[in-house]
Amino acid sequence: MSLRLKLLLLGLATLVLPWDGIRYAREMEAALRQSEQHSLQAVSETIAASLQGRMDLLYRNPAEPAPASNGPYDLTPLVLTAPPYIDGYPDDWPHGGGTWRHYGSGSHRFGVLTGIHDRMLYVLLEVHDPDLVFDAPGANPLDSSALGDRVWIGYEDMGVQQQVFLALTGAGPIIARRVEAGEYGEETAAEDPRIVGALQPEPGGYDVEIAMPLSMMGKGFGVLLDDRDRRGADPLSYGTLRSNDLHALGRLIVASPSLTPYLAQFMQPGMRLTVSTPGGAVLAQSDELAVPGALAPEPGILTQFYRRFVDRRGEPRFIVSAAPIYDAGHHALIGELEVTQAANRWQGLRDRALTRMLDLTLVTSAIAVIITFAFAAHLAVRLSRLRRASESALTREGIVTQFPETAAPDELGDVARSFSRLLGRLNEYTSYLRSLAGKLAHEIRTPLTIVRSSLENLESEEVSPAARQYVERARQGSERLNAILLAMGAATRVEEAIGNAERLRFDLTPVVASAVSAYRVAFPERRFASELPAEPMEIDGAPDLIVQLLDKLIDNAVDFSPAGATITVRLRQEAAAVVLEVDNPGPALAPEVRGRLFESLWQSRSGSDSRPHFGLGLYIVRLIAEYHRGGVAATDLPAGEGARFGVRLPLANSPLLPNYNDKVKLESV
Amino acid sequence: MKRLIAIVEDEPAIRDNYAAAFTREGYVVRTYGNRSQAMAAFAARLPDLAVIDISLEDEPEGGFELCRQLRALSAELPIIFLTARDSELDAVSGLRLGADDFLTKDLSLAHLIARVNALFRRVDALRKPPDEQEQTVRRGPLALDAERMRVEWEGKVVLLSLTEFWIVHALARHPGHVKNRQQLMDAANVVLDDNTITSHVKRIRRKFQSIDPAFDALQTVYGMGYRWVE
Repeated sequence: MSLRLKLLLLGLATLVLPWDGIRYAREMEAALRQSEQHSLQAVSETIAASLQGRMDLLYRNPAEPAPASNGPYDLTPLVLTAPPYIDGYPDDWPHGGGTWRHYGSGSHRFGVLTGIHDRMLYVLLEVHDPDLVFDAPGANPLDSSALGDRVWIGYEDMGVQQQVFLALTGAGPIIARRVEAGEYGEETAAEDPRIVGALQPEPGGYDVEIAMPLSMMGKGFGVLLDDRDRRGADPLSYGTLRSNDLHALGRLIVASPSLTPYLAQFMQPGMRLTVSTPGGAVLAQSDELAVPGALAPEPGILTQFYRRFVDRRGEPRFIVSAAPIYDAGHHALIGELEVTQAANRWQGLRDRALTRMLDLTLVTSAIAVIITFAFAAHLAVRLSRLRRASESALTREGIVTQFPETAAPDELGDVARSFSRLLGRLNEYTSYLRSLAGKLAHEIRTPLTIVRSSLENLESEEVSPAARQYVERARQGSERLNAILLAMGAATRVEEAIGNAERLRFDLTPVVASAVSAYRVAFPERRFASELPAEPMEIDGAPDLIVQLLDKLIDNAVDFSPAGATITVRLRQEAAAVVLEVDNPGPALAPEVRGRLFESLWQSRSGSDSRPHFGLGLYIVRLIAEYHRGGVAATDLPAGEGARFGVRLPLANSPLLPNYNDKVKLESV
Repeated sequence: MKRLIAIVEDEPAIRDNYAAAFTREGYVVRTYGNRSQAMAAFAARLPDLAVIDISLEDEPEGGFELCRQLRALSAELPIIFLTARDSELDAVSGLRLGADDFLTKDLSLAHLIARVNALFRRVDALRKPPDEQEQTVRRGPLALDAERMRVEWEGKVVLLSLTEFWIVHALARHPGHVKNRQQLMDAANVVLDDNTITSHVKRIRRKFQSIDPAFDALQTVYGMGYRWVE
């Protein structure tokens, strides 16, 4: 794991800040919810207190005792949010209401559902009757022989029970009529236009919808069904009505018309007020839950994103508070108040705080991460600079190049400085070693001169023939010693020559061409092939040194190739550089050899010949190539049938090419 | 009259060997171990030729200093530097101080004696009245007098050291022929490595160019050697 990555992770540790923020937001939300619950409780108790004893406000019929429990015929109409369309189809009624009441039994029964909307009473009857019998078409509704099934509606008005019947004359609208006694005792069926009804047959029965204004009735209300198996038969009656029996009339428990406006004054957006009877039937409801409050503006994308981290699954989206409504004497319950508030009322508050906090902490984290990353990058750059410097500080020959000075007052600077000191010491040692050969040569030269001049003087003396052969051997030995001394100083002299060389611009091609023709004369046992470009290859440098470089490469190629072999000298342009290659057939380069070929005092020659070898030839090649800002490489020829030594030199006017060393494959030279 | 050769060399064995060789050749030899001894003797009597080592006892550059002093005493005295050093810088310094040749101790005694003889020949020839002989080689603006080891270019004298003279001589005798480094070394009777030959050639060119900036007669044939072009 890189230092950069580690420090980045360290920077990411600051993400604990927003995480803490989220936890804090949750706690804050819980506290908010708690306090909101309390205040909602206070609100509900206040409203409930204001309703205490106000039977007139709660109920349409305030005189009656509070309906703590419903009687068998009492109906508690639903508070409808929209009026059902009177067409006989029940599908626009709320489903699953618990206020159905059922009358009759077996296959003769019906269920009744009542509802109130805008001072109208709506009634839905679901009748189970396998034999639906309509009145005879066009018959007098009072003609007993023509009677079919019919629905009776009874209600109390000004202390008098009134009855209305709806004769079932067919699918669609049905007409409500009341029986009126004429002046002479004759009965007539007068149409009551206030009451609207409709019928639709169903499998196994039929549905009836009726609508009538609340204003036409007092406190009592009931429904009765006359079920006939055939037209004119005696009916089977069931329901809540008994003829002329006011007591059997159930009550219609309905809120006072002024309750809803009363509740409305307490309303706030995102709130729902519900007043219900002690039995739980809803009397009035004022609902603005869906209305977004001023405190809860539409959350932004960022807020919604934050919320995903904060919101916990299954958290109730509402808070509910209930309070009992007592009568004036505080003895009996007359109703119940329930206040519901949408959670987003305080979520808005929370979201604002949360967004701000998370924004802050995330920005803090981001800044921390950026700073640590920048610091890490800076460190990494410094470290890699140090690494590069330390890698390149020491060449393969142990030559110490300059090490960048640093004034950084930190530990890294200390490392760099101590490394620099270390290299300095190493440099002293290396230069001592490097000068050792030269010093040694110089020191040996004087005694060698003594030996040689003594021997030469001896040759002029009278020496016995037996002694002369020893003199001759001593002379040969001293000559070899002299050759060794010359070879030892070769690299130093080349370095000196490089130091004194003058750069001039010249065309490499004729120089190489002329050198190759010289090699043909110098090495008659080898053949030389040259592949030279037609165009000039101008480089900046010293032609003498280049020829010396080529001499060393050719020397090497001759040494490692069999007699009669063809040595190829190639010159080609590659990008902004010219590549000089010498191919020789012969043994392939051993892998362990390849990296070290161009080092000083290193050689892989086997056997021995009379010439002294110090492994300086290819080192000199490298010195000269580097003087020309070039590089060297050695590789096997394809199929391992020889070796190829290449030198890459930048062309004149080309941007300075980086040195490439022998790690690079020659294919890419 | 026998010629007097002074050898200034701090290594007694070498000094004595050289002295023995020169004596055998019929020269009178005086040897000195350091600069003060040598200067004291030279003040009394100048030798006919001085062979001087560069480093003398505790003076690493004592030979150079001695050469300077000696040159102040006599402008014509032939001076040969003989040294274990072979650095080009030393050679340049020595020759700039007015030495007539710069030889390394690698040189065999026989070669050394040949060089000394040649120097004396040059000195003698210079003292003789000039006479146009067949010893003179003329190649265009070049006039080469092997007898006096004197070189002229466009009528002006080019001051070459002995080694340089033999290099020019070997090349100019057969214009257009390429002489490799070994051939040049043989001609100059010296054992030098390739770099030293190269620097000699460079110095020769510079000396000619100081007279004629357009000088281009001494050409490099890369990989082979050098040739003289008319």
